Amino acid sequence: MRATFPHLLHLDVALGILYPSLGIEIVPPPPITQKTIEIGVKLAPQNACFPLKVTLGNFIEAIEQGADTIFMVGGVGPCRFGYYGQIQRIILEDLGYRVRFVLLDHPRYGVWSFLSALRAMTGGRLFLPEIVRVARLSFAVLRFTEELETHRRALRCQVRDPQELDRVIDGTIEALRQVKTFGELEALKTDALEKLNALPRNGRKDFLKVGIVGEVYIAQETRVNFNVEKLLGDLGVYVHNSVSTVEYVLHTFRPLTRSREKLEAWELAKPYLRRFVGGEGIDSVGSAIRYAREGFDGVVHLYPFTCMPEIVAKGVLQAVSRDLDLPVLHLAIDEHSGEAGLVTRVEAFVDVLERRKQEKKRGLKRNGSLSRS
Amino acid sequence: MDLFLGVDVGSVTTKFVLMDREKRILASCYLRTSGDPIAALKEGLRYIEHRMPQGGVIRGVGTTGSARHLAGVIVGADIVKNEITAHAVAAITRVPDVRTVFEIGGQDSKLIIIRNGVVEDFAMNTVCAAGTGSFLEHQAVRLNVPIEEFGKLALQARQSVRIAGRCTVFAESDMIHKQQLGFGKAEIVKGLCEALVRNFINNLASGREIEDPIVFQGGVAANQGMVQAFRDFFGGKKRIIVPPEHGVMGAWGAAILAMEYAPQKTAFQGFSVVERNFKSRSFICTDCPNACEIVVLKEDDRVKALWGSRCGKWTPETATVRCEEEDENLPSLSSYPGCSTERCAMHG
Repeated sequence: MRATFPHLLHLDVALGILYPSLGIEIVPPPPITQKTIEIGVKLAPQNACFPLKVTLGNFIEAIEQGADTIFMVGGVGPCRFGYYGQIQRIILEDLGYRVRFVLLDHPRYGVWSFLSALRAMTGGRLFLPEIVRVARLSFAVLRFTEELETHRRALRCQVRDPQELDRVIDGTIEALRQVKTFGELEALKTDALEKLNALPRNGRKDFLKVGIVGEVYIAQETRVNFNVEKLLGDLGVYVHNSVSTVEYVLHTFRPLTRSREKLEAWELAKPYLRRFVGGEGIDSVGSAIRYAREGFDGVVHLYPFTCMPEIVAKGVLQAVSRDLDLPVLHLAIDEHSGEAGLVTRVEAFVDVLERRKQEKKRGLKRNGSLSRS
Repeated sequence: MDLFLGVDVGSVTTKFVLMDREKRILASCYLRTSGDPIAALKEGLRYIEHRMPQGGVIRGVGTTGSARHLAGVIVGADIVKNEITAHAVAAITRVPDVRTVFEIGGQDSKLIIIRNGVVEDFAMNTVCAAGTGSFLEHQAVRLNVPIEEFGKLALQARQSVRIAGRCTVFAESDMIHKQQLGFGKAEIVKGLCEALVRNFINNLASGREIEDPIVFQGGVAANQGMVQAFRDFFGGKKRIIVPPEHGVMGAWGAAILAMEYAPQKTAFQGFSVVERNFKSRSFICTDCPNACEIVVLKEDDRVKALWGSRCGKWTPETATVRCEEEDENLPSLSSYPGCSTERCAMHG
């Protein structure tokens, strides 16, 4: 068996640690490029959402590299993601690819099919103590890659040389691929954090803060969202992304697992949205409210064009934006998105936030002098 | 006298504004980009140079528009700003209590919401041509009406025809259909203007409060039929202002921003830029399947700027080497048996 899986930021690093120990050979898809997108767009239904197309491109490119089995997760609730695996399986069958498609759905849709998919994905060695250790290690590695990305977003506007920042983080992520033990992971962590702390700063303190909310794939995958976070960082903005694969996994398999962050976001969203609308609709609303409370200057909402849960969230976010005086930029992404239009919008959004901040400062000063007189 | 230059290189037209410290426009021009922004930039600079007042010195330059980065490198800009901010700044300068800006240009349209002199929200349409200048121009040609007369013709109509304006393709077939039914040209043009206004409001204003005074600017604001259609849409209840400078508001905004942000010493390259030899060329990087199109702006043989590299591996030095390699590997004309003339349509 030569198994493959869709890309999602640094998921391949974690799975690359997990799978050898299960005795399953993996063929990670080549990195997402324009070619991946073109393949997916050509073969997928035109009105399917963008993540389906890109992940389909991943599968085809991996099959060309020799993969014969595909691992995919299913989804829960009224989002089309739940059918992705099935549609992709049928598309690949129609194209004449003879591959095995293993789809992991939530156990509530059948404990038996869940266990049998899990058994196929783990080579049947799920509960060996060694496997449990490696699974925990690869999850910890995934968590650390996300932590590194959080640092990258926060530090880009604060360091003197952003390219050096990229070198430290990309270098650490490469090194993580070779990690075998928790000790090695800890050593890499300490080393990376030391290096990040040692990066010369540019001394700026009054940067704008922008939070990213949205659909789990588009909001995270910098290779398809035109790297909005880097764009913002280069404009001197401190960025935080509320979307995380780790939290996504923990939340998807509730009640077996739970994500404290997501539960908090759902609680915050309650005055606006109580009903589960599929995907990350509620999370987008809750996270935006959290950003407003934490004093962020604005929120960027990223989602695939025609994404139903996020369109619901978009409508609700307009009310959140009004009530909490929080500017929100909505960006729908698909294969037709033009980079120039997106860059113009993001630049203009940052200008809006900058002018608002100056106005507020001026307003405070004026009020201050009034109270004194 | 301290002067500031604003340059707005759009998809269809290129605009220049020469401004003094009181933000007064001393000279301006409105040219066709005609697919060659470098030539348009040179032509505009020549025009402005001839209108420089005695003792005037350019202290700052701002560029905007879709070719703002290219213009910034060639002219030497102190600030390169997006169109939304530039247009808003000019509208606020012209009408200080402005609350909404409608801007319709050649390839896109924008709605900007302003409160207390600060941009609060904006929407921009870049995907759909319905409701932009290019579509109006295309239809003017089809109806054999000069674009300058198009708006006036709409005002002559006694009634209007309802035209489906959601999509340019459907609008065009619907217009033809109405023509075949026997409606007059003026009625159809009026109907088209109304369809475009509906489309603009539906696409951009969804859920946003349109408060007046509204400043209507951009090339399409010159079209009286469109102005009237906007007035009718709001039932004459909203104040719509078309400033006399409506065509060059973006360039004016860029000039104002240049004055606000100008450093001690401007990056302006001087009017001699028009004598220099700029050339842009491109190659496709084949190092990974991303196949980035790298665009290189060269002055004579020196690379001045570089765009399009996603991974950031290309520097002016490596790109120069790559261009030279490509030139060497270019097959000579004689290797194509069909090409005997110097200028062959296929191989340049």
